[in-house]
Amino acid sequence: MIEIKNLRKSYNGHEALKGISFAIQKGEFYGLLGPNGAGKTTTISIMSSILKPDSGEVIIDGMNLDTHPGQAKQLIGVVPQEIALYGDLTASENLHFWGGLYGVSNSELKKRSEEVLHLFGFYDRRNDNVKTYSGGMKRRINIAAALLHQPKILFMDEPTVGIDPQSRNLIFEVIEKLHKEGMTIVYTTHYMEEAERFCDRIGIIDNGQIIAEGTLKELKSNSALKEVVVVTYDHANESQLKEISAKWPDSNLSENKISFYATDVQSALSGIISGSGQMGADISNIEIQRTNLETIFLSLTGKQLRD
Amino acid sequence: MIRLALKDLKLFLKDRRSMLMTFAIPIALISLFAFAFGGVGKGNEETKISMQISDLDNTTLSKDAVNIFTTLKNVDAKVVPIESAQDAIKKGKESNVLVIHKGFADSLSDGGELPLELQYDEAKEIEVGLLQQSLIPKVATIPFSLGNPKAMMASRFEKMTENSSPELKENIQHQSDNLFESLSKGIAENSTTQDPSSAFFGNEVKMTKLVAAKKDNGLGLIQAVAGTAVMMLLFSVVGIGMSLLEEKQEGTLKRLLYAPMNPLKILFGKMISANIISIIQLIVMFLFAALVFGLEINNHVTGLLLTIIATAFACSAFGVFLASFAKTRQQVQGLSTLIILVMSAIGGSMIPIFFMPSLMQKAAVLSVNYWSIQGFFDILWRNLSIFSTTFLSRILVLVLIGVILNSLAVFMFKRNILKMS
Repeated sequence: MIEIKNLRKSYNGHEALKGISFAIQKGEFYGLLGPNGAGKTTTISIMSSILKPDSGEVIIDGMNLDTHPGQAKQLIGVVPQEIALYGDLTASENLHFWGGLYGVSNSELKKRSEEVLHLFGFYDRRNDNVKTYSGGMKRRINIAAALLHQPKILFMDEPTVGIDPQSRNLIFEVIEKLHKEGMTIVYTTHYMEEAERFCDRIGIIDNGQIIAEGTLKELKSNSALKEVVVVTYDHANESQLKEISAKWPDSNLSENKISFYATDVQSALSGIISGSGQMGADISNIEIQRTNLETIFLSLTGKQLRD
Repeated sequence: MIRLALKDLKLFLKDRRSMLMTFAIPIALISLFAFAFGGVGKGNEETKISMQISDLDNTTLSKDAVNIFTTLKNVDAKVVPIESAQDAIKKGKESNVLVIHKGFADSLSDGGELPLELQYDEAKEIEVGLLQQSLIPKVATIPFSLGNPKAMMASRFEKMTENSSPELKENIQHQSDNLFESLSKGIAENSTTQDPSSAFFGNEVKMTKLVAAKKDNGLGLIQAVAGTAVMMLLFSVVGIGMSLLEEKQEGTLKRLLYAPMNPLKILFGKMISANIISIIQLIVMFLFAALVFGLEINNHVTGLLLTIIATAFACSAFGVFLASFAKTRQQVQGLSTLIILVMSAIGGSMIPIFFMPSLMQKAAVLSVNYWSIQGFFDILWRNLSIFSTTFLSRILVLVLIGVILNSLAVFMFKRNILKMS
């Protein structure tokens, strides 16, 4: 559905994109993650055709974005990070305006507006000016405005920044519904739990390059990271603990705690418990530190995602 | 408290816009108004009043009189055929013409009334008033310098005493001869001194309003409505243009760019809305003036609408251009205040342009205000046809200003706004 081929873009001598390439399948939920300044916004801007690359190309549903921008844009809905709405217009007026830009007829707009107003739960307040809405409601309308023309592809740039849990849950429900209906979604976020929850595949971008790509499982297995089982012992002397630690190929003893590193925690856990029992050491606590996107991201980029 | 005050002063000194608004703009405007009202260069570069002279008598004596009039202090006199002179007045290009009618030489010889007529545009009555102050005393000296003053005085006294007794007539004639000798001597000694004969014999120049006020439209009313309307329109279109920068700041401009349309349509949309609002604003202003102050517009609807549309086009282009030229709202506010006040001052929105020095009058053509106000005067005061070249030339200039500013706005929009978004 989307093909990105060797995109390059420089600003004032700084190379923001260093020839990135990736492809997104139809109906796929693709997460684009990266620290600030990594090149996410530049990539999304080029994919949305508001920025021209220095070289490379973007193919949307078989159409080159550079040669067919109008037709390609018709297929895309963009949810910008900022709340880009007219505060002095009502929700209905905003939806009609933004939908109208995509050539949706008035009768269709009326029907679609009502649908999305119900979907996002503000039908009763459709005639209130947007500036009177809460931050969460504004976020919801911000998303709704990108759906009026029923795009095949949806670019969502940090759509849940700074909102209340209730609005976030509602947005999650809508996103899942859109995904189930077959919409191709490109999603950028700073929230790892969102990426883990929704994304079929994830691309991690840093310094203008895609440094890792795949499903969460693939990213985990491709990373050199192991999961950690931290066991705390009671009534065990130092020699016992040293012996337990020495039997495990990759472990670390610290006071009365041993950290066991393993690629498969489930199978490792029984060995750790039985081994400890054989040595007569009493276990008081077991903590499992799993490999997640946060740790993978940290190991790949050396930065926290929110840096 | 002092710390707080010092902090505010420090912030103020660092804020270039505040410095501009507090010092630079007032200084610029004071200089402009001082220059406009003649406060600068007083005594060195006094404003000369233009006077056309049409010599219909075309005799040696009338030509001599023309030569005398061309030496008038503070008057820039030029000889022009009567038709051209009257046309220039009707079109608002000149304020007056001194007509030396046929029989001028005969009257000088006979001592009769001099057939001199000053035809003028009532819209420029103040300017003509200033001209009269120089002209009338000089006219009064003409019989003494060119004609037969003795015969003139005898003729006047004859008229004054035609019903008196012969003795009284003889006595007055005697006194007249004595008075003539005194006057001649006085004129010979100091020709620039105002001659007492002007007071004695009255005004020798017939005053005729070539372009006169209609019953229902006052000159001041047109000046007030047209001048204010254009100035206020410029301020309001800047606000419309500024919404472009607001869209950029709010992120809606970027969202508009995501839509499948040519980005220039965003700018064209602004231009259209600015034009519509401008047209409505001007119509409302003129309707208000018509309803409340009795400005007569019923007989000038087509011309008025043409001028309104052309003015709205030029002014809205100015607003959109300024918004696309500037990079921030603060820049637009600072620039627009300065430019609009300067254009309004030199263009005749604040003061009629004939008050200004000739240099300023020439500079007036650089402002939208000038062309627009003159267009309104053409229609509402001079009663020109909408097909007259004078009126059409003003409309054409306004349209050209609009086209040029809109073209520049397109260029700057691509360069500034789209990149910034």
